[in-house]
Amino acid sequence: MAERALFQGKIVAKFGDDINTDYIIPAYLLQEAWGKKYFAEHAFERYDPSFVSRCRANALKDSIVVAGKNFGCGSSREQAVYAIQYNDVSAVVAESFPDIFYRNCISNGFPALRVESTKDLEIGDSLLIDLQSLSVKNERSNAELRIYMTFEERATLLSGGRLGKVKERLRERLLATS
Amino acid sequence: MNSGYSNNNDGRTIVEKIVSRACGRKVSPGDVVDALPIDKLYFNEVIAPPAISNFQDDFNQVFEEAFGNIEQGLVQKKKNQKRVFDPSRVRFIPDHTVPSCSVMVSKGISLMKDFAKEHGIMMYKEGDGIEHTLVTEEGFVLPGEVVVATDSHTDTVGAVGALGFGVGTTEAEYALALGEIYDFVVPETFLFRADGTFKNGCCAKDLILYILGKMTESGCSRKVAEYTGDAIKKMDMDGRFTICNMSVEMGARSGIVNPDRVTEDFLKEVAMRHPELFSEIQDTLTKIPKISSDENASYVDELRIDVSELTPQIALPHSPANVKPASEVNDEVNVVFIGSCTNGRYNDLLQAARILKGKRIHPDVNTIVIPASRAVYNQAMSSGLLQIFAEAGANIESSNCGPCFGKHMGVLSSGDRCVSTSNRNYRGRMGSPDAKIYLASPATAAACAIEGKVTDPTKYLPS
Repeated sequence: MAERALFQGKIVAKFGDDINTDYIIPAYLLQEAWGKKYFAEHAFERYDPSFVSRCRANALKDSIVVAGKNFGCGSSREQAVYAIQYNDVSAVVAESFPDIFYRNCISNGFPALRVESTKDLEIGDSLLIDLQSLSVKNERSNAELRIYMTFEERATLLSGGRLGKVKERLRERLLATS
Repeated sequence: MNSGYSNNNDGRTIVEKIVSRACGRKVSPGDVVDALPIDKLYFNEVIAPPAISNFQDDFNQVFEEAFGNIEQGLVQKKKNQKRVFDPSRVRFIPDHTVPSCSVMVSKGISLMKDFAKEHGIMMYKEGDGIEHTLVTEEGFVLPGEVVVATDSHTDTVGAVGALGFGVGTTEAEYALALGEIYDFVVPETFLFRADGTFKNGCCAKDLILYILGKMTESGCSRKVAEYTGDAIKKMDMDGRFTICNMSVEMGARSGIVNPDRVTEDFLKEVAMRHPELFSEIQDTLTKIPKISSDENASYVDELRIDVSELTPQIALPHSPANVKPASEVNDEVNVVFIGSCTNGRYNDLLQAARILKGKRIHPDVNTIVIPASRAVYNQAMSSGLLQIFAEAGANIESSNCGPCFGKHMGVLSSGDRCVSTSNRNYRGRMGSPDAKIYLASPATAAACAIEGKVTDPTKYLPS
């Protein structure tokens, strides 16, 4: 799945700082499914119970989640990424992400986008996100935010994750060592 | 730091040394390592089942193609071509909700058992222990190693001077095939220097809670927390595990303590229990001086703490960084949990037992005690600690993560107020979002169990 470089989405949720992965997907569900889609229907069920219905009601389909600092802290559960991603959320825009969650997003080709400040973004705003020029444009206010991301992170994101690269590496390794 | 060093500073931290050794070249903070080889990898039963399932879906075709080509090109194929990068460096540990609490959990554990058997991976039994406790107790993780596991509290292994990183399902799945993690940014190190002597009733947990209160939940983001100073050097291994364990609660990528005489004594005991590890541990002991941080290493920041000033601390709902002295809190308590990868080891149980000995737990308090491993359980049984807990009126469960995971063995209801020795008190973490969770040391938790309210344990200890 190659990620789109340019897309538009509507903000369906705006959270504060330190949203942990327990809030995104509670632990009691983690062992009840091995797939990814299962977790979408339970996203934020204890923290923001109308989150899923707001995503479903978004006529634009592409939803965007906005947050303050340290979004996705705590447990390493990758199911937190699936819970958001499989609600047709196209990106999370936040002021910072802790490492484990950030790496889990990149692994899944899911745009976790770090910007300087999210204070001027509001629920209902339509954002135009450009992963080539690394910018977020708010179509309501015309304000533009720069996305901070390394070369490697952008490359991985635009390839939809690392699976292609990893398979190639595994192929080479198996042929070289056998 | 003395700025006079900065122009000609070739001192390196333990983190730089470990990563440089692992990737075979000298690296500095900020460098990106395309593929960082890992030394050890372990999985719990929460993440192993989807990781195994994805491993099969993603790679089976690659294995077939590769082994197929070999079959055509070479004289004779080997049966069971190796698919896991190195089975001897992987462990499977069912620990979060065992003995199994649901049919799906049981299915997951069965999948792990089948995969472990097929690939020659060592798998522990339900009740053998919590992953981070078990891997160090068993000598699977040793100083100087790069360790990856499917749990954010993999930072715990930093107590033995290993560099542990928690990862998600996908990175662990790729590591299982290739023994690497990708696009690894070498982290900066934040130095925590704790000097002085703990007051009676205070311990490692009070120190790390105090640090969290100062640092907030994101204060150490993207950095590794290195702990040093007299108070750390005098601290036993169990205390060091507690401190490294909660590094992730301030956003740290990992936590680490330079191995020293205390670490060496711990490793020697491991070698005596596991004669098969004797020569490997002997070899590790000779390397210890080389992996520690240099005196003139550079740190991105430093926090100094005088532990002699500390009193017992408690984290209030709903953040591990919402910390106050326990003596300033008077809230009622009806559940106490003593255990977890933070505080379920022998010395943790000993601190709680000293307070509970000969006492009765408050009639309104459901108290749950869970030793962190089978070895801890058996030691606590033979030394009489379990009897003290049982006679005081506690429920003692077999080794697992227990109510910290919020799925079994004491799931909280709305209105419950729980004092836990674990690491996270997020709203809803242990059950209902309307429950309140407080985090404290085993001594404080034991005092709370007796009184049915938040209590500074000092008064229960001889002065």
